[in-house]
Amino acid sequence: MSVRVKLPSVLQEFGCGAEACEVTGKTVGECIKNLEMGFPNIKNHLFDRQGKLLHIFGIYLKSDGIQPVDLDTPVQENDELIILSFIMGG
Amino acid sequence: MRGYTGKLLRVNLSKRESQVEDIPEQLMKDFLGGRGLAVKYLYSELKPGVDALGPDNKLLFMMGPLGATTAMSVSRIAAVTKSPLTGGVAKSIAGGNFGAFLKFAGFDGVILEGKAEKPTYIHIDGNGVYILDADEIWGLDTEETQNKLRQMHGNSTKAICIGPAGEKLVRYAVVISELRCGGRTGVGAVMGAKHLKAIAVNSSGPLGVYDPQQFKSLAREQIEGLRTSPRRIQMTDFGTSYLTLGLEKMGIFPVKNFQEGHLEGVENIGDEALAKIKIKNDGCWGCMTKCGQVRKITEGPYAGAVSEGPDYETIWSLGGNLANTDQGALIAADSICDKLGMDTVSAGSAIGFACELFERGIITKKDTDGLDLTWGNHGDMIKLLEKIGRREGFGELLGEGTKRAAERIGKGAEAYAMHVKGLEIPAYEPRAVKGYGLIFATSNVGAHHMYGRPREELAGKADRFAEEGKGKDIARNEISQAVEDSVVQCSFTPATGFTPESRAKLLVAATGFNEFSDPAYLDLIGERILCLERSFNVREGFNRKDDTLPARMLTEPLNNAGPATGQVIRNLDTLLDEYYDALGYSRQGIPTEEKLRQIGLDWVIEDIKRVIS
Repeated sequence: MSVRVKLPSVLQEFGCGAEACEVTGKTVGECIKNLEMGFPNIKNHLFDRQGKLLHIFGIYLKSDGIQPVDLDTPVQENDELIILSFIMGG
Repeated sequence: MRGYTGKLLRVNLSKRESQVEDIPEQLMKDFLGGRGLAVKYLYSELKPGVDALGPDNKLLFMMGPLGATTAMSVSRIAAVTKSPLTGGVAKSIAGGNFGAFLKFAGFDGVILEGKAEKPTYIHIDGNGVYILDADEIWGLDTEETQNKLRQMHGNSTKAICIGPAGEKLVRYAVVISELRCGGRTGVGAVMGAKHLKAIAVNSSGPLGVYDPQQFKSLAREQIEGLRTSPRRIQMTDFGTSYLTLGLEKMGIFPVKNFQEGHLEGVENIGDEALAKIKIKNDGCWGCMTKCGQVRKITEGPYAGAVSEGPDYETIWSLGGNLANTDQGALIAADSICDKLGMDTVSAGSAIGFACELFERGIITKKDTDGLDLTWGNHGDMIKLLEKIGRREGFGELLGEGTKRAAERIGKGAEAYAMHVKGLEIPAYEPRAVKGYGLIFATSNVGAHHMYGRPREELAGKADRFAEEGKGKDIARNEISQAVEDSVVQCSFTPATGFTPESRAKLLVAATGFNEFSDPAYLDLIGERILCLERSFNVREGFNRKDDTLPARMLTEPLNNAGPATGQVIRNLDTLLDEYYDALGYSRQGIPTEEKLRQIGLDWVIEDIKRVIS
């Protein structure tokens, strides 16, 4: 499936240099893996050393609204995945 | 009852007298509650030039209109005074349970005046307000104090208190309720200067609201939303420790007193690592998130150390800032700060300042009571924390805050004091998120991460390195924060589904004030509060020259900070001009007469004219 992955500005320089990149995959996890293969630098900024998604990021699927998803969630042709950064602390 | 109790308790500690006053309804409508209402009283009653640690300063604790109701995460309490660190307005928001029970006792707030002749505490119960000798609790740490008060007045006693740091006037001492601090700007020192150890209360609810049916329905909706909110679940699981690894990768996590942005071994104090030593959750009254992570060390030199925390700011201040990645030392240090009653951010910053001076040979072991302040030497760091909290030896100097300590040390030490207006910069590298640079520079309470947040940059929707086009957004975010602090809602609530719309509905159902349903009305209140705080500071002599950052941020490219390496803030003046224009201030950072009239602060105009004439 061809899927659009929208990146927060803090990650754009490690992706395709634009607000969104086109990738393929059947699940969210595959899409992210293919994003990393195309742009290896992004992995270091999206995941920790154990390969877990850093908690300051969340991955959401834009379909009917925006829903949080995990890496196993299947995707459809022309879906849009949005990676958001969530930084609010004290 | 309409959300508010409508009553303010005024205590004169010099005369050992108290009285109960009505809070005018128009003040509630104009300033909302919490921080805003407290700032109004402070501005109106305090003359400029008052010594922050003198008897003429006033300290206010103020709840918001939703406090102590069944809505979630709205029962924190605002503390407002003149800051002993900055000499300007101070604000701090504390969690715990004191605020709700103060409101159950019938008071929206307390205003404390004068100075008791000897150590004193206040007890409030159904029979009255008592001003009592504090012989049995003066000198105790914050945990011992609250335990002792429960022994004396019953297990249901709730309190807010200071620790030895507040008694000894450490300028960044905190007030604490349970294990939750009103941490920044030195409110605990003001309480200590008044010889006031604690306010204890025995009371019970519930409180009434204007439209009970509607309120119940809205509160239920809020709870249902929170139950399944992924962000709420994350906060329950990790607290704000979730920030550490990601921000370090982005160069936002300052290391070694803002010298660089990379910390070797940071994983050891990251969220997953700290989750392994968590024993339970804890939190504020009336909040289901329970974001407090209580952790215990079971082995090593710090075995037995327990702390509710550390949260992100403390993971930074006593961890990354000092090149300390030892979990045991971090938990032990956090616990010391809580028990002695000190702000972890300012304390950690003061130690980081001292470590850099030590590194550069400006101070030596002769100055530090023999302590080796090499980066990462957590054993001596812990010893120094104790000294600061008790104002002993070298700790006496650092207890003054980095600004005053640097002035006393001389020899160029000022270059390494990372503060704005006297308040130490918190855990966000301004060169890596320049919106934070603008907030720290312009904040009326000094460098404070909760005076506003650069939401657009943090959400990844704006370029964090850009040095223009931010003034309007930052002004708007500071206005938002002022509203949040005046409702006194927990600042984590927006991310967990508490929208401005849901807040407005709850406010109307609680108070019956239809004005609160209009977001523009609430924004006007926020702008009014911001402007009044600015005016308070202008009256004290502040202007554009004080809206700045340490030279390090303006001249030194950030080192070893991943994608933020090489960043420096070159155009602070551009950002300041944008910010002042957005708020209707002059280019000197002073509210104009036109702006003051526009937002209903006509009565401030003569004060400002006196300053600028």
